[in-house]
Order: sequence, then structure tokens, then C-alpha cells
Amino acid sequence: MISKPNLRILLIILLITSSILAAGIGAMQISPVQVIAILLDQAGIHLPVTYSQGMVNVLMQIRLPRVCLGLLVGGGLAISGAALQGLFRNPLADPGLIGISAGASLSAVLLIVILSAVPILLPEGMMPQYYLLNIITFCGACLTSFLVFRFSRTDGKTLVATLLLAGLAMNALCGAFTGLITYTANDEQLRSITFWSLGSLGAASWKGIIALIPFIAIPMILLPRLARSLNAFALGEAEAAYMGVNVKRLKNQVIILSTLAVGASVAVSGIIGFVGLIVPHILRTMAGNDHQHLLINSALLGASLLNLADILSRTIIAPAELPIGIVTAILGTPLFIALLVKQKKFMFGLSS
Amino acid sequence: MIQAENIAYSISGKRILQPSSFEVEKGEITVLLGPNGAGKSTLLRILAGELYPDHGSILINQVALEKLNPEVLATKRAVLTQHYAVPLPFSCEEIVMMGRYPHYKQSTEVQNKRIIDQCMEEMEVLPFARRMFNTLSGGEQQRVQMARVLAQLADANGREERILLLDEPTSSLDYLQQQLILSKIRSLAKKGYTIILVLHDLNLAAQYADKILLLKEGYMLADGSSNEVLQSSLLSMAYELDIEIISDENYSFPILIPALHNKNRISQPNKIYRNGTLENCEIIKK
Repeated sequence: MISKPNLRILLIILLITSSILAAGIGAMQISPVQVIAILLDQAGIHLPVTYSQGMVNVLMQIRLPRVCLGLLVGGGLAISGAALQGLFRNPLADPGLIGISAGASLSAVLLIVILSAVPILLPEGMMPQYYLLNIITFCGACLTSFLVFRFSRTDGKTLVATLLLAGLAMNALCGAFTGLITYTANDEQLRSITFWSLGSLGAASWKGIIALIPFIAIPMILLPRLARSLNAFALGEAEAAYMGVNVKRLKNQVIILSTLAVGASVAVSGIIGFVGLIVPHILRTMAGNDHQHLLINSALLGASLLNLADILSRTIIAPAELPIGIVTAILGTPLFIALLVKQKKFMFGLSS
Repeated sequence: MIQAENIAYSISGKRILQPSSFEVEKGEITVLLGPNGAGKSTLLRILAGELYPDHGSILINQVALEKLNPEVLATKRAVLTQHYAVPLPFSCEEIVMMGRYPHYKQSTEVQNKRIIDQCMEEMEVLPFARRMFNTLSGGEQQRVQMARVLAQLADANGREERILLLDEPTSSLDYLQQQLILSKIRSLAKKGYTIILVLHDLNLAAQYADKILLLKEGYMLADGSSNEVLQSSLLSMAYELDIEIISDENYSFPILIPALHNKNRISQPNKIYRNGTLENCEIIKK
């Protein structure tokens, strides 16, 4: 076990290092010192480091928006994952469980196929389609998670077990429709569907980031305030209520805030699996489940790891890009299995 | 202190608890007794406010339970259920600290830390403080949860009204720890805590109860002082099993012996039981 303040400091250092690395690595190499110099120069502080104007343009217009997008999406996915795992009282819960990803996929695939079949609906240029895709997928994600949430409510109570089952049902249904549409899609449509469903940070722009910030910032600020209630909730629903937690309100808040963050992340970057599952898991093995630390630490580590994964996705088959969802799955799965093997004993305790 | 007025409870048409009324006094240990399925845990959950009775009401100091603010209630009423498992990894210290959450607005971190250390000390779980809760044995987990409940009621500001509801707090404990927990409960009652607990062990009830509510199939069979309720005839009726009662001058409480499930033997109890001296006990062994 690592002490809690040390872990926090370590994670912040990792976040800064990974961001500077991600900003520097690529077709045009910018050294970490140059990255710092360029950034400080923007703030009006001049360091005696030489760099070209090309580097400044690449950094400010291409790399930095991408790094920021990675930070927001990675942080948002990981903090939502940690909060939902607390709500389901199960470390294996994933934002996908409440239907967010399934709804987003279905609406994205539907839009891709409809737009390319009926191009009249698409005003000229690629940008409007891109924004349209963001908005539609966000709505799809929110709609399915709202439906799942609605199904699991009886007499004003949300039954967590029913929530899980309703989520599974919704995943199956949306998966079937997505499959059906994919089956009828042509080659070009298939390529964009695949690219989208495997995730990418490639579409980063300052405009997009400004639009994304509120959806990620609100959950990041509000979820940690629920930390103590989530801790008490881990003892059991009735037990939490005996400690004065308003269980009904807690469930609503966690689900709405997670949907906001995950829905918005999926809308801008496609489905990036495993971050919401693995990041909290790594932190749990390091410093336990106290949500007062776990939630914010998850956001920090999620942001760093997604940036590191993005470096790989950009460089492995450069100049082409590997979808980042593939990188997170290929790196995440062995790590996850290693963790499972290491703490099999603990996992057995779960069934009780 | 606590009044139950004509409360009844049913689940999908089946009566779990028949209409019953009773009162629980401040500073007393009230034990709910009865065979499995008698409705003891249900009654405790109604008293805790988790379940709402079909009709009737629970009054705490003349105020209806459902009218009390849950956050305020959590500072003076704690409940230990039989649900100990915690599926996520928390250290014992973190679990016990959760008992202090309702008090976070009033008390400082230093006070809280002192209180949880003291509660863990009392339940003899201080050595496990940094260990992960789910690596502990059942009995150890039960004592950690008990420490949490004690921490929830611990007094930082000298108020006195405290209600403690416990569902079989000794279920996975050995004899020494059963006595540890129940004598702690006794000392809390002396301090003015109102305590209601479900017990399965008649002898523990005989040793610690001030008042006993005896239930069977949802009916309140008896409601009275420990001596009034612990009668062979009443208990035998409730448990459908002959139960012998022995008094011994060395003990201030009766000793109860459930008969073997063999009618012949029960109907002709061995006289030796009634003396209960050591040499006679050895005769029984043979």
C-alpha cells in the first residue's frame, strides 16, 4: 500500500509528464524542453530554448487540442467508471452496463448510414456531419441510459439488480439493431462505422474541446462530493440509509453525472473501452476503495493513461493511426488479467 | 422512549407481523426472541424505519418516526444488520470511520479519529485497523461492524438520547466475544442508551435482557420483563420444543436447556438437572 498523499502527488506528476510527452511525440518531434518553452512563451515567459515556428503551429493547433481531449475523455471515463462501480457495489461494473455505449453506437451507426444513403440531409463539408454525429450520439447515449434507469424504478425506488438486467437487455437490443444496420452497410460506411466504434482522439479541435468541457467538468466537480455517501453505500443500501444517506438521491445523481461524462466522451471520441474498468481497479489495489481518494485519483490516472495510449495509437503504424480503443484493449486486457490473478482471493470474496 | 402503536406488516398479502403494540423504555435492553420466521428481523427493520408498517406507527419520544429528519436521526440511532459483507476493498479503519459520517458537520477530524480508535479498542479490533475488511474472519468482521455502529453513536457533544438496534450481533462470535459485545451493550444501557436486539440464544437473553418480546409466526406471544417471559410453558409453546429452566443460587439469571428432539426423554426430565452441581453433571456425562 502506498500512502494516500504520495499516491496523489505521483499521479499528478504522471499526468504532467504524459501530457508533455504526448504533446511532443509524433511526425514532428518536439522535445519536452521545447514543449515547455513554447507553452511558457504563450504565457509571456521566454526561455532560452530554440524552436521553429512550425513546431509552435503543430503544438498549438494539432497536438495540444488532442492532449486536452485525451485528458478530458480519459478523466471522464475513469471517474464515471469508479462512481458506477461504487453504485453497483461491484468492481466489475462498467459505464457500458447501463446502456450508454450501446445507445451511442446505435445512433452513430444509424446516422452514418442514413447520411451516406441520403446525402441531401448533409449540408456541404465534413464539419457539420462531424458535429451532427456528436450531438446525435450524445442524445442516443442519454436516451438509452434514461430508459434503462426508468425501467429499474418501481415506487420511486431504483433496484440496482434490475438496473443491471435492464442495461443488459438494452445492450442486447441496441447491439442487434447496430448489427442489422452494419450488415446492410456498404464498404465506405463500414469503414467509418468501424473507425467510430473503435474510438479515436483524431478529431480534436479547440472548438470541440470548449463544447466538451462542461459535460466533463460538472461530473468531475460533483461526483467527488458524493464520495462519503458512496462509501456508506458500499456497506449496503439499508445500511447507508441508517447512516443518513439519501439513497434515492444518490442513485439519481451518480447515474445522471456518469451519463453526462460518458455520453459526451463517446460522442466526441467513439467507444474507448476498458478505461472506466481498469483505471479504478489499478487504484483500488494500490490504496483501497475510499471514494474520497478513488474518484479524483481515477480521473488523474485515466487522463494520463489515455494520453499514453494515444501516443501509441499515433506512432505504431505512423503515418496512419490505430484506433485508440484497440490500444486500450490490447494493453488493458493483460493488465486486467494480471490484476485478477494477483487477487483471486479477493475476487472469491465478491460472490458473498 | 419508543412506542409501537398497533403496527402490522405484510409482504404481498401475507402477514409477517400481526398488529402489535408495545413500549420500549430508555436505558433498557429489550430482546426480541422467537423461532425462525417469527418476524423478529422484520420488526427490527420497522423500528429502524427501513420498512413502513401497513398501519399503525412508531413514535420516538412522541414524534412519529417517519417525521424525523434522516440525517438527524442518523446521529442518534444506529442499526447493525446481519449484512456484513462489503464487496469493495475498504480498510477496517475506513469502515469504522463511516460511522462518523453523520457527525462530520459537528465534530473535528481529531475527535472522530479518537472516537473510532476507542471504539475499535473496545471491540478488540484495533490491531486490524489497517487491514482490508474482506480479509478478516466472520467474527472479526462482525466486531468491526459493531465498532462502526458504536462510533456512530459515540458522544462528542454530551447529548444522551441514543437508540441502538442490533440484529443478532453475536451470530458468528465465540463465547468470549459474545460476552464482550453484550457486556458492552449492558454498559451502554446503563449510560442511558435504548437498546433493542434480536437474539437466538435463550441463555444470552436470560443473562442480559431487561425486557423480552417473544414472537411466533408474527404474533406477539409475550411482552414483559425477563422473568415474566422466560417461563418454560411460554417458551415451549413458542419454540415447539420442551425447554427446561434451572435456577441456580450462584447465578442471578435462569439457565435454559432446550430438550433433545425426543418426546420421551423430554416428558421425564432427569432430576439431576435441577441441582446442577459439578459432580452431578459428571454423572450426566456418563
